[in-house]
Formats: sequence, C-alpha cells, structure tokens
Amino acid sequence: MAKDKRMGLKEKYAVMTRGLDWETSYQPMDDVFPYDKYEGIKILDWDKWADPFRLTMDAYWKYQSEKERKLYAILDAFQQNNGQLNISDARYMNAVKLWLQGITPLEYAAHRGFAHAGRSFRGAAARVACQMQSIDEMRHAQTQLHAFSHYNKFFNGMHGFAHLRDRAWYLSIPKSFFEDAMSAGPFEFVTSISFAFEYVLTNLLFMPFVSGAAYNGDMATTTFGFSAQSDESRHMTLGLEVVKFMLEQHEDNVPIVQAWLDKWFWRGYRLLALVGTMMDYMLPKKVMSWKEAWEIYWEENGIALFNDLSRYGIRLPKHHEVATKEKGRVTHELWSTLYQYGNALGLHTWVPEDEELDWMSEKYGELFDTMYRPRLLHFRAQEETGKRYFNNRLPMVCQVCQIPVFFTEPDDPQTQCVRIVEWADTKHHCCSDGCADIFNREPEKYVQALIPPQQIYRGEAGGARDIFEYAEWLHLVKDVDTGEYHGSPDHLNWEAWKAELPTPQANSDEAA
Amino acid sequence: MSFQVTIEPLGATIDVADGQTILDAALRAGIWLPYACNHGLCGTCKVDVIEGEVDHQHASAFALMDVERAEHKTLACCATLQSDVVIEADVDEEIDAEQIAVEDFTATVARMEMLTPTIKGLWLEVAGDGVAFQAGQYLNLFIPGLEQPRAFSIASAPTEPQLIELNIRLVEGGAATGYIHNELKLGDSLSFTAPLGRFFVRKSAPEPIIFCAGGSGLSSPKSMILDLLESGDKRAICLIYGARNVSELYYADLFNRLAEEHPNFTYCAALSESSDESPWAGFRGFVNELANERFGGRFSGYKAYLCGPPPMIDACISTLMQGRLFEEHIFMESFLTAADGVEPARRSALFKKF
Repeated sequence: MAKDKRMGLKEKYAVMTRGLDWETSYQPMDDVFPYDKYEGIKILDWDKWADPFRLTMDAYWKYQSEKERKLYAILDAFQQNNGQLNISDARYMNAVKLWLQGITPLEYAAHRGFAHAGRSFRGAAARVACQMQSIDEMRHAQTQLHAFSHYNKFFNGMHGFAHLRDRAWYLSIPKSFFEDAMSAGPFEFVTSISFAFEYVLTNLLFMPFVSGAAYNGDMATTTFGFSAQSDESRHMTLGLEVVKFMLEQHEDNVPIVQAWLDKWFWRGYRLLALVGTMMDYMLPKKVMSWKEAWEIYWEENGIALFNDLSRYGIRLPKHHEVATKEKGRVTHELWSTLYQYGNALGLHTWVPEDEELDWMSEKYGELFDTMYRPRLLHFRAQEETGKRYFNNRLPMVCQVCQIPVFFTEPDDPQTQCVRIVEWADTKHHCCSDGCADIFNREPEKYVQALIPPQQIYRGEAGGARDIFEYAEWLHLVKDVDTGEYHGSPDHLNWEAWKAELPTPQANSDEAA
Repeated sequence: MSFQVTIEPLGATIDVADGQTILDAALRAGIWLPYACNHGLCGTCKVDVIEGEVDHQHASAFALMDVERAEHKTLACCATLQSDVVIEADVDEEIDAEQIAVEDFTATVARMEMLTPTIKGLWLEVAGDGVAFQAGQYLNLFIPGLEQPRAFSIASAPTEPQLIELNIRLVEGGAATGYIHNELKLGDSLSFTAPLGRFFVRKSAPEPIIFCAGGSGLSSPKSMILDLLESGDKRAICLIYGARNVSELYYADLFNRLAEEHPNFTYCAALSESSDESPWAGFRGFVNELANERFGGRFSGYKAYLCGPPPMIDACISTLMQGRLFEEHIFMESFLTAADGVEPARRSALFKKF
C-alpha cells in the first residue's frame, strides 16, 4: 500500500469543512441571499475567499473559554485588592466612562451587525468568519462591562450606559456611526467596520484606550485589552481579506470600494476625535498626543497601506489631507466644546493642570500656545471667581457625524467650518467637506437621521424644557454625574481615599 | 549554539541563530509565514511543533493558551529553538518545489566572457555528478578574502550540472564583483553552497507564462526557460527583458534563436536609457511598459515570474495588478545590491510576497 502522505493544515481544514454549505434547490439562491448583490459588488468565485484562520467551532469554544477563565481570575484579583485605588487619578475614570458609554455599545452593535452580514453572504467562508466575529463582539461587550463594573461601585456616571446610549446627545456620535454601517449592505458593513475601522484606524482606537489604561494603573481594562487582542487580529485579517477579495473578483468593484473607503475613512476619523480628546485630556498620565498617534498610525502606516492598495487602482481616501491639517487642533476644539456642554454629559470636564498644559505646548507647539492655552486659562480664571462657564443649551450637530459643528476651516483655525447641504428643499448642516460629501452621495439616507438637539427641543426627550430637565431624563444627577470635575463627589472621594490609604510598607507589615 | 528548523508542508530547512525567532529566520530566508503583531500578542503566527523543543519566550497567555501549549503549538514570532525542530505552518504546499539538499562544492573557472561591458559570464566546472538544482535557484559563492558569501542566480539549465553558468554585473566599489571582474583567472578554484532559493516555475499549473527580467536578473529566467523548452513544455512562454542600452542587451541572439525553434516561445526587449542614441528598432521604455503594450494591459489567466532590481519588480507588480493578475499568480526574485542604493518602501500587511 502506498504510504499515505500527511495532509497539510489547509488540506485538513478543507476536508473537515467541505460541503458544509450547499446550493439551495427549492428556492433560488438569490432569494435566500437577497442582500449580497444589490450593492453592485460582483463575485465570480466565492471559493477564492481565503480563510486565513481556519478555526473550527470546536477549537473556537475551547480557546475562548480559556481566555475567559484567565480574564476573570485577574478581574477577581483586581476587585479583591481594591484595584480602583491604583489608578493614576480619578480624572482617569472619565476615559473609562467614555469607553463604557460610547464604545461598549458599539461592541454590541458589532455583534448584531456581523450576525446580519454573516447571514447575508452566500460564501461559506465569509459566513463563518462573520459568525465568529459576531460571537467575539458579544464577548467583548460582556467582558468590558464586567471589567468596568467594579468601578461603578466607587465612581459616578457609570450606572446607566444602555439608557444613556439611546438618549444622550453626544453618544449619537458613535451610535450613528455604527447604525450607518449596519443599515448599509453586507459588503459595505464589513468594509466599514472590519477594514476601515478595525484595520486602518484600529491603532488609533485600541492603542489609546488600552495603553492609556496600562499607563494609568487600570489593570481591569488592560487585561480586557489583552484578552481581546487575539480576537482583534482575526478581525483585522477579515478586513484585509474582504477588501482584497472584492478588488480581485471584479474590476467593477474598484470604484464602489473606493467610494466606501472615502466615506468610512472620514467617518472613522471624525469618530476618533473623541478618542484623541480622551488621549490628550482625560489621561492624567499621557501615552502620546493625538498628533503623534496620527503621524505614526496614519501618516506612516496608513499611507503605506494605501500605497499598496494603489496597485489595485485604489487612491488615498478623499480629504485625508484635511485630517492631517487638523491634527494639531481637533482635540483642543472638541475638549472646549465638551467643557462647555458639561451639564449635559455623563462625565466630568475640567481645565488641565499646568504641567499638562506644558505637555500640550511641547506636543502641539505654537498653535496651542496662541489659540488653546489662553482659552483654557480663561476658563480657569472664570472658575476661580466662581463663574465656571457652562453653555446651557445644546449645540447644532452635523447631519452626518453628529459631532457639534465646531471644527474650523482646514486652512484657518480661526474660522468655524460649516457646510450647508440641501435636499428636497430642506437645508442641513455639516461640519466639513468630508461629511458634506457623504451626505450628498446618499442624501435619502442621511435626511432620516434623528438629530438629538432638534428632537430634544421638540419635546421628544420626555418633555424636557431645558438642559437640566434633559439631564434628569438621562438619569444624570446634576453636579454628581455631570459638570465640573473639581469639587465633584468623584474628586472629593478620591482625595479622601488617597489621604486614608496606608503606605505600601505599612500594608505589608499588617499582612505579616 | 544554533539549530535548524524544517518548515512543513514546504519541506524547507533553514538555520536559526541562537536567540533568533522562527519567524525572523523564516522571513529572512524568504519564506513567508502568516504573522501580524510580531510580538506575541495576536496569535496570527501560531504553528504546530511536530518534532523538537521550542522556548515560547514571551508569548502572551491569551494568544497562546495553555491547551495550545499542551498540544505543541507555538507562536513563530516569539519561539526560539532548544533543538532541531520541525514545524507545520499554515502555508500553501509547493508541489512543484524540488527538495534538493544543500551541499558545499568546489569548482574550477572553466570559461569567462564579457557578455556586456558590465556583465561577465562565468562558467564553473564541477567534478563528479555536479550540482543538482532547480531552474531559478541561486548559489552562495565564497570570494577569497571575503567572509560573507555572495548570492548569484544560476543562468544555466539543470541538465548541465557539471558546468554552472553565472552572469555577474560589476558593482561600482563592490569587493566581490570587483574581484570577479578584475582578478579572477581561468583555472582558479572557487567554492560555493548550492542550491538555494525558492524561485522556480510552477510547472503543474497550466497557465501560460510571462517572464519579466531586468539587467543581470536574466539569469534565473534564462535557466527556467531553457529548462521548460528542453523538457518539451508546449505552453505559451513570453520573455520580456529590459536593459539600459544596446550594449547592455545580452543573449538576444540566443533568445531569438529559441523563438525561431519553439513556436510557443516569444522574446522581446526594451531599452530604458533615453540618452542612448544607438540604432534600435525595438521598444524604448521600461519592462512593465513593454509588457503592457504586448498584452494590451490584460494579464489575467497567466503566471508571471519577475526577476531584477527592486524598482523594476515594483513597477511590474503594479502593471500586472492593474491588468488583473494578482499575488497568487506572481512570483519573484528581487535582489538588492549596493549599487541599487534604494531603501525598500514601507509596506503594509496587505500582501504576503510583495
């Protein structure tokens, strides 16, 4: 008998999974999979979809359950040892609040989105990849909640993230981002989330939060980050694969993919303004500035990726040069906006300490010193005379990204940038040419966006008549969950805990 | 103490230095393994250890789980060797790759000829059975007085194992090529290690073939084309060669003759130097431009083999991809010499080979 040749991993996987999908016979395939053609993407051969991970469901469960055991062992230890006292400063908690309110719901939305995309693809490999990612995302949402839940016992503003997600005006920024993706077709969804967000911009999202957590003594979040990273690599690979697959399958796909990359680069970039502001302002111990992160992760890595993509006939995303022009200002512009609207936020805002202002001067140079430092110092002076400034109204927000229309003209940081777009005799406001382009490409879609300030003023927020009644409708307690950090219960508690805290030596003596 | 790793299903065996990771050794040997973060956190580079012992080093407990460690998996980006090791990686098996053991040889310089003003042909006579190699492979030549050997592609066909032909361009200021051009004499003895490299023709794939070669990158394609034609391969084969000017164009007679003898073989050349005023009725421009013209900008359905300096390879890849021929159908041997002096451009993880 001829010696059996050992099967390679790839071959083994093919044999194990062969024929798990099938061509339907009672119903036409197009009726069973009604969504994977209407975006115009042409697929000639689904079998060309490379399945880089070749993970069986059996192995998947085994790995994930071991990850859970490790993560929860560390979370237990963190909680038993009052890990909340090890963070750098209570101001750091506002980064965690922003994550909990803004990002964790996105993980859950991703779970839903990938379940839907997976159901929509007629290729089995793409379906399985989406299915696993869908389960990953559910796990990420749950493990994040568990990692953060301990902090909820000690800090304010963390009690109602799901309630806030559907009601808070500023959380419509991340929420609308994902709902835009989820209401697109399956190919656009995977391009937007797996490629543009999780591949191209991932380091600008994940790094600041996870490294920020590590720098600021947040063991719970750091450990969550490690447990998620091995999933993230699978997600990034899915992103690369789907884009290569579409580009290689048919040349008619190239302009469609280009339009999606233009759109989702800009949408992702706008969403990251929140993350950048977190990096620059909410981390008491800074990892790097938004500007530096943009230079490394976009200007170097992102552009290298697009240079490679140019071989497929893909060019750099539209308005990327605007994003680069804005790198020295978006975070300062956004922080001063959040600072003003602090009575309608589920987190605290403040004027940074002097050494932080110096750090910003060092990182942002003259522009910071001439434009943003004086404004921050003005805010501080007002606060010191008992007149902490709040803008007790709600801002006009962009019809697309839903960020307040406060950004400045690409070539003039002194002039507000407003773009008015028109459709069906109605005018809408956009924050930038990038968002205006997105609106004009699909106006029918974006006119349907419910713009929170407009809805609130129409009485749709439980009939709230002003920003304070609105905050109550959000279940936020004035000056406890909202408002200025200095003098807040979070601030005062932290000072009290730190004052009581025995020194490490005393602690070890007691243990002995 | 260094060990060797054998990478299945390729069957390639490479040296791994003390403290060097498997991934680093593989990538440096031109073998692509899947990887992403390159520091033990993501798990993309997970491989099976079939034989031998590795040290997992700082692989994350979340990326390489206990159950996986128990099942003899490791992360190639972290693992170092404790013994000779056999791993199985998730890479495509190369059914057309011949597994030929690397050996050390001593040869005599039997013939030398200037093929162009800068390229010297060198014929090395090897006693006994000669050198077994697969067309497209290279050897590492030891130059008297130089510690590190230099890599040169073999230009002759595998059917002539006792007479190995190399085509060597004089690199300005290059110690090795300077020695070969200026000091080497007939009858001198040289030692080398061969065969090396994983550039070879995928003969089992039925597609017609395009070879794109530039400068002294003609060696491997010449060996591959001779091998294909000698073995009676009937598929369409096209060689597109690029030189700077007429005097640097070499083996045109050989390829024109082959084209007359074999109806399935075509040959064309491009001259790139715009200041060149010599008479030339052929194409002026770069290899990729000539390819574009010959094939009407459509390359799907072919296999392409590229050999030459990095800028030529890069331009050819772009042209081929814009003509709808993608990574899995493109094979290449890129060589850097001091004369090229170009830093490879920063690349993303989009492509495996490019």
